[in-house]
Parts: sequence; C-alpha cells; structure tokens
Amino acid sequence: MTGLGYLEETILLLILSMDGDAYGFSVSEAYEKHVGKSISISAVHTVMSRLEKKGFIQSEMGGATSERGGRRKRIFTATTAGLTMIQEIKEARQKLWNIIPGLS
Amino acid sequence: MKQPTHPPKWADKFLGWFCAEDLLEEIQGDLHEAWYLRKERLGTSQANRLFIADVFTFFKPYAFEKYSRAKQFLPMMNNYFKIALRNIWHRKGFTAINLIGLTLGISAVVLIALYLKNELTYDQNIPQAESIYRLQNNYREQIYTNMSFPNYNNSSAKIQRTLVNHLEEYDEVATACQFVPTQSDIGGRSKLLVKFGSREFVADNALYSNTGERFQAIFPQEFLLGTPENAFSDFQKMVLTEKLAKQWFGENWRLQNLIGQSVEVQDTLYQLAGIIANPPSNQHFGFDLILHQQEIPSWGAYTYLKLTENANIASVTEKLNSNVETVFPRYNKDGLAKGISAIALPDIHFSQGNLYEIKPTANKTYLYTFGIVGFMILLIIWTNYTNLSVAMYADRQKELGMRKVLGARSQDIGFQLLTEAVLLTLLCFPFCLLLLQHAIPKFSELMDIETSSLFFNSFTFSLLLSLLILTGILSGIYPAIAYGNKSMLRLFGKKMNAFSGSRFFNFRNGLLTFQFVMMVALLSITWIIFQQMQYIQQRDLGFEKEGVIYFNVDDVEKFQQLKTALTAIPEVKSVGANGIPGSEMFNQFTYKMDKTDVVLSDGTMNYLSLGSVKTLGIDCPSCNKLSEGKKRLFLINQTAAEKLAKIKGITPEALVGETVITEPEYENEEYGFGIPYVVDGIVPDFNFFSLKYEMQPLFLNVYQEMPFVYEMLVKAETDNWNGTLAKIETVYKQIENVQPFDVAFLEDRLDKLYTEDRRSGILIGILSLLALILALMGLAGVVSYIAYSRQKEIGIRKVLGASVSDILLNFNKEFMMLMGVSIIISLPISLYFSSKWLDSFAFRIEPQFWMVLLAGLVAMLLVAIVVTWRANRAAGEHPIEVLRND
Repeated sequence: MTGLGYLEETILLLILSMDGDAYGFSVSEAYEKHVGKSISISAVHTVMSRLEKKGFIQSEMGGATSERGGRRKRIFTATTAGLTMIQEIKEARQKLWNIIPGLS
Repeated sequence: MKQPTHPPKWADKFLGWFCAEDLLEEIQGDLHEAWYLRKERLGTSQANRLFIADVFTFFKPYAFEKYSRAKQFLPMMNNYFKIALRNIWHRKGFTAINLIGLTLGISAVVLIALYLKNELTYDQNIPQAESIYRLQNNYREQIYTNMSFPNYNNSSAKIQRTLVNHLEEYDEVATACQFVPTQSDIGGRSKLLVKFGSREFVADNALYSNTGERFQAIFPQEFLLGTPENAFSDFQKMVLTEKLAKQWFGENWRLQNLIGQSVEVQDTLYQLAGIIANPPSNQHFGFDLILHQQEIPSWGAYTYLKLTENANIASVTEKLNSNVETVFPRYNKDGLAKGISAIALPDIHFSQGNLYEIKPTANKTYLYTFGIVGFMILLIIWTNYTNLSVAMYADRQKELGMRKVLGARSQDIGFQLLTEAVLLTLLCFPFCLLLLQHAIPKFSELMDIETSSLFFNSFTFSLLLSLLILTGILSGIYPAIAYGNKSMLRLFGKKMNAFSGSRFFNFRNGLLTFQFVMMVALLSITWIIFQQMQYIQQRDLGFEKEGVIYFNVDDVEKFQQLKTALTAIPEVKSVGANGIPGSEMFNQFTYKMDKTDVVLSDGTMNYLSLGSVKTLGIDCPSCNKLSEGKKRLFLINQTAAEKLAKIKGITPEALVGETVITEPEYENEEYGFGIPYVVDGIVPDFNFFSLKYEMQPLFLNVYQEMPFVYEMLVKAETDNWNGTLAKIETVYKQIENVQPFDVAFLEDRLDKLYTEDRRSGILIGILSLLALILALMGLAGVVSYIAYSRQKEIGIRKVLGASVSDILLNFNKEFMMLMGVSIIISLPISLYFSSKWLDSFAFRIEPQFWMVLLAGLVAMLLVAIVVTWRANRAAGEHPIEVLRND
C-alpha cells in the first residue's frame, strides 16, 4: 500500500477542489492562495507525476490558450483510488482527533 | 517601450534542449502562462527573472526522463527488435558466417583472458601474500630456492629448525615455517606407498613439514574435518586433501570416521588428523597430503616467513647475513656463499632460472605474447564487424530513409543500428558458452592447468557478456554515425559508398591492411616457431636417447642387485648409475687452471658411472683407463678443453695430465684453496642441459663403481617395449618393495624441457589459424559487398566486352596492392617478435627475411582465392539482370 506524503496529500486535495481545471501552473497558484506559501511549478509537476504513477490521479491533454502560446495543458483529475485514499486519511485523522481529551 | 511578448528566448531554448519531448509541451505551456500572468502583475523584468528561475528548477532528472511514459518507449524498442530479428533472419547465410566467426573469436579471447588471469593471480589467494617471503640462498653463481639444513641430510630434528627458530627471534618476523613437497627437486619426486589397514594407495605429492602450526599461520588451510590445532600440535600426523579423500574413500568420505585412524606411509605410522579443502592450483607449491613430522626427509627445505606489520624484508635479510655463523656455520668462511636473499610470494611464479623451483614458473614474455595475440584477434573481430555491418546497411538505405521521413532523428537511427549490432553479437552468447564448455577442458590439458580454476564463474560470464556488447557497440558505431547523419534525400538517392575517403586511401582499406598485416605477421611467427621446435627435436644432442629409461634407486646395494638382475635380461643392453642428461642448468661453479690466475665461473660438474657413459653412447676412448685399475676418471668436454687450453697456451690434447682447480675461493684444510682434479681425458661436446643454454664447460667424474646412487639408467631393445618393461618391473619389484616402480623415458624427459615453449608455440599456432580464418571471413564479406555495389559497373564492363577473368583480375588488383603493402609492414614486426621468442634458446635458427615473404605469399594466395570466389558471383551475373533495374 502506497502512502501519501504531506505535500502529495495537499496537492491531491487541491486537484479535487479544482474539479477539472487542475494543471501544473493552476495548482501552483492555488497552493499559494490556499496554503499561503509559494511553490515552484517544477515541484508541482514532480509531485503530480508521482501521484500519477501511484495511481491516485489521472491526466489527459487539453485546453490550449494563447497565453500558453497554443500549448496544451495536462489536466489532472483524481481517480477513485485517490478519492478513497484521501477519505481514509481524513477518517484516520478524525479518529485521532476524537481521542484527544478536552477537545472532543 | 514595446511590450515583450515572449519570455527570455535563451532560457526557453535551454528548456527545449534538456527537457524530454513528451513533457515539453505541458511544462513550457505552464511556464509561459505563469510568465504572462506575472508580467501583468509584477512587471516584465520580475517575470523574466522568475521564468529563468523556474526553467532551472526543472533542470532535474524528472524532466530528463525521455521515456518516462513507458508506453511510448517500448513499442519503438519492439520495432527495433523486430526489424533486427527480421534482418538477421532474412540473411541467414550472412548471419551464420557472422555468428560462427564471432563465436570462435570471442571464445578464444575469453580463453586467453582466463588463462592470463590464472597465471597472473598465482599465490594471490593466500592472505597477505605481499608480506610473505621465501628465503633463497645465493651460492656460487646461482640462486637456490630452498635453504639447506646446517648438516644437510644428517641434520637432527633440532638442527633442521635452526633457521626457522632464529627467524622468529626477529621483531620483523611474525612467523616462519619450512616444508618440502615430494614433487620438487629436493623432495626426490618419488611416490609414496600409503597403507590404510588392508588397503594400499599411492600418493604422488606429499608435503613434509616439521613446523605445521606456523605453516597453518602463513598458508591457512581450510579444514573440512578435524582441526588445525589437533593436526599440527603434535607430530606423526597426516592431513589429506579433499581430492585424495574422494579418490581413496569415495564420495562419502565424510561418513567413514576417518579422523583418528592410523595410516602407514612407507612403513612409518601416522595418524590421520584432518581433511582439508584442495589447495588452489595456481599456487607455487601443490600437495595432496601433508605429513607433519619431527624431521623433514631431505637435505634442506623451502623456508617462508611472514613479516609483521610495517616491517621491511631488507632488514631481515641484512640481519640474517650478519648472523651467518649461527644460522649456517658452514657458510661462514665459504667464499662461494653469496648470502641469503628473499623473494616476495607473488613474484615467485615469474622468477626465472632459479634452482630447484617447485613448480615450473611462467615466462612473462610468453604471457604478454598471448595477451598481444588475443588483443590482435579482438582487433580483427572488431574491424571485421565494422566492415561487415557497414556493408550490411548499404542496401538498407531506403529503410533508414523511410524512418527519417516518419520522424526518426539521427540519434534514433544510430540507436537502431546499435541495437541491431548488439543484438547480433548477443546471439552468440549461448554458442560461446557451449563452445567454452567444451574448449576449456581441452585447453587446460594443453596448458597443463587445472580445469576447475578456469571453469564457469561470474568472471567468465561478465567478461564474455561485456566483450560481446563491446564488440556490438564498436562494430555498430561507425555505421550508426555514418548513416545517422546522412540527409533523407541522400538515403533515398543512389547507393553511396559508406566508406569515406578516396578510392584507395579510405577507412575500409585501412582496416583491411591492418588485418592483412596481422595475418602475415602471425603466420610467419607461427612458422618460425614451428621451425625452431623441429630444429630442437631433430638436433643431434651428442648422445643416444632412444630406448633409454630411468628410475630412482636410492642406495648402492640395491643398485648392485638391480644391475646384476637387469643385465641378465637379454633385451637389456646396458645399465648405469646417475648422469641423466636433459635438465635445466644446475651446479655452476668456478674453476681455473693450476698455476694460472684466470678464474672462470661457467663450469658444471657431473658424477656418473661408466655404465651410464656407455648407455648414453658417449664416445670416450680414455674410459679404457678404468679397466686399467683406476677407480675414477676426470674428463672434460671439448668446450672446456678449448677454453682451458687457450688460457694455458697449449693444444687441447696436451691438457691430459694437467690439473684443474675447482672452486678456488673455497678454503679447506686438505688442499688449501679449491679442489684439484687431474684431467684424464677429453670427451666430445654433448648437450647435457637444455638447448636453451650455450654449450658450456662440463666436467665428468666417471666411476667404475658409483659410491652413491640416486638414479638408474637402463638401455634396452625398443622392439617389444611393453614386454621388456614388464620384465624390468618384475625384477625391480623383487628387489625394491617399498618404493613404487616409477619409470620414465629419456626422450620424454628431453621433450619436457621445452614443454612451455612447445605449448606457447601450439597456442600461438592455433590463435594464428583462428586469426587467419577470421580475417578471411571478414574479407569474404567485404568483397561480397564491393561486388554488390559494383554490379552495374561490372554489367557495363561486360557489355563493353570485358571477360569474366578481366573483371576478376580487376578485383584482385586492389587487394593484391593492399597485400603487398601489408607484407612490407609486417616484415619488421614478424622478425622482431620471432627473434624475441627465439631469444630464450642458445641453439636456434635465425628468423629469415624470406620466411616472412613466403608466409606473405601464402597469405596472398589465400586472399586471392577468397576474392576470386566472392567476386566470381558478381562477375558471373548476366549484364541484363543487373542493368535492367533502372
């Protein structure tokens, strides 16, 4: 069973939140916006290719714009496995939260 | 200011250069989009800076992985494989020739490499081999590899240990040991009779040691049964090697409770205390069993020491030489003793000319020769396959062109051609293994090494594999570059000559000339070597060797009994004691004429009975003096007579009655200096030693009755050898019941002197033949290619009236010119290397100019045959067939 690193988890969540408009640049923008830290585009690419290899996301080419000089984007979407994974992580966290005394 | 519409171009190009094609679109798109947005937000310069920074952050393996999306990579590779296999299949004949040649050649190279590895790693698996030394004794003009005991054969157990114990007192010496294998000159080379209860065995090579624990410390043996402590803490213990244990007790020797049993060796009792793993064959001493006992049954022993850390051997030998009176009281005033020296363990196998060396040493010159010849074969293979693969792609230009049209880049074409070349060579892998499996035992037999040390191991595999891949790459690289860089149009255009350069001075002819030179050189060197071997075989040595056998007899009484009994056999012509010719030079000493001052140092002395002189058929008129009542005669050979007569200023004949003083430095009570001998007669020169040495002064002491005997010569009728031998054996067994009958032929002994040379000759011969075959095969391929590419030209020539023979002549002309150049180039090479080989012989033929020329002519003839054979196919075609294509 392949696990997820913190950055991988965050990016997977971002891809899910962007619903069909996730590609390298847009994800790095979203990361900056929601996490508040900057991340380089190359780091996003590497993480996404890793996620793809692990089978949590899938990709297809599409959506050329003039800003991109007519180049297509690689659009990433989460797979079912990715969705299940992220839910499992959440549940596991929740269980831990629940047993913290004085917080629940 | 005009707004830029583009991020910095150089950075963009850089990205395009390093980035994998299939990733480029998305990455570049993302970066451009980012640049565009940032330009709006932060301004052009900031956006540019960030763009450049981003490009550099992509400069990492992730973006280089050309084929990271494997789906794209595999189909292409699959296609390469498929096309390669189709091509290989399509040209079955061509492929078969290729494969056979490559298999033969590469296997030969691997064999040579294995052999060289075996020789060059002698003694290397002994731990800390470089800090182990053997002591050697310099005496007279020679180096003895053993140390003698203070009182020779009469040394007590305590005296035998003097040197070893003395050595251990030095701080520099960690430990020291001594031993004698029976298969050595000081071990007697006799076989041992071993009795195990009622079972009897014969042991060929036992190692006698009186310092077992220290032997174990210097040369650790792996005990499979028993312990070294038990085996070496006490005397009269025997340790067997696994090999002998298997041979004597069968495969299940482990289960037979052998340890602790008593054994009788030559009537002495031992206890079997251990069984050890076989010692490696590439070790300078071998043995089948160890006998640990108080006294070593010899007059000396091989003595080894291991240095402590950081100690220096020079200080050990220095101390030894200044302490000679304690270690060797005899040598203290002996002017002939030249001190003790030491040789490092790894150097022993390559030392030359030392006395009583245990195993034959290796001549480094021969090893280098093999290495060079092996490399030459490799070069021939490489040039062959470069030539052949260039030829092979000549009619595949259109395929390559088509690939370019479909988008193949030049590196893709190169990659494809390399894949094919490597694939073809790798096809040989199983065949090479099969061939090696059969060749290694035969080869080991020829070179007299143990198969096990050469047999399949990871070294063989990886060497074979890397040689094949390397050959593939090297042969594929030229066509890969040549075709890869050609433009599409040229690939589709007329057939081009893949070989650059002018008509005569081009790459292909360069390779061919190179091959021809090696072909002629190897052929002529082989020829000269075989001439020399024949010369040695046929040379009149000055004594009779036919029908002479010899064996060991170690006491005078037994010799007398044997002599009487053997002469009673009608087939036996004569018998004698000692004086077997055919050994390496030994016992060189100094001598001078009485009342002169010139001291010579090249004399050798020999002691033999009158019977031996007669057995060897040496012409000796003065031997009659023995029947006149003299007990011993002092004879000198013609060479000695001439040398001494010159000094004395008289004729050689006048030397009879004069006195020769041997070893004039030797101070003794009886004669003062040296030992005087009165010359009784002169014998003709004969080659007592190997033909590697010059004819040297030889002094013979001929006895009517030998006072000491160690070997016996018998000459018999050669008609019914087996019957005669059986009779001799029966007689022998009646008189000698301990020592097994171990007989040898003088002719074999003489042959053995040149074993190494003959071996090297045979090996070079085989390799040359192989090189010749490979070169001719390569040539056949090249001629086919040329014939193919000149089809139209030939067609037109024929239309214009040329006959087949004209065309063949035309073909041959170019190759004959190359051949001529090659013969000239190979002349000095062949002469140099063959005289280098001949240098080790004093009696030798001279390599002649015409020998090389003749070898060259033979090669030329072979080349002409191959060229004519291959070109004939093209010349025989009907012109219509080739011309109608256009």
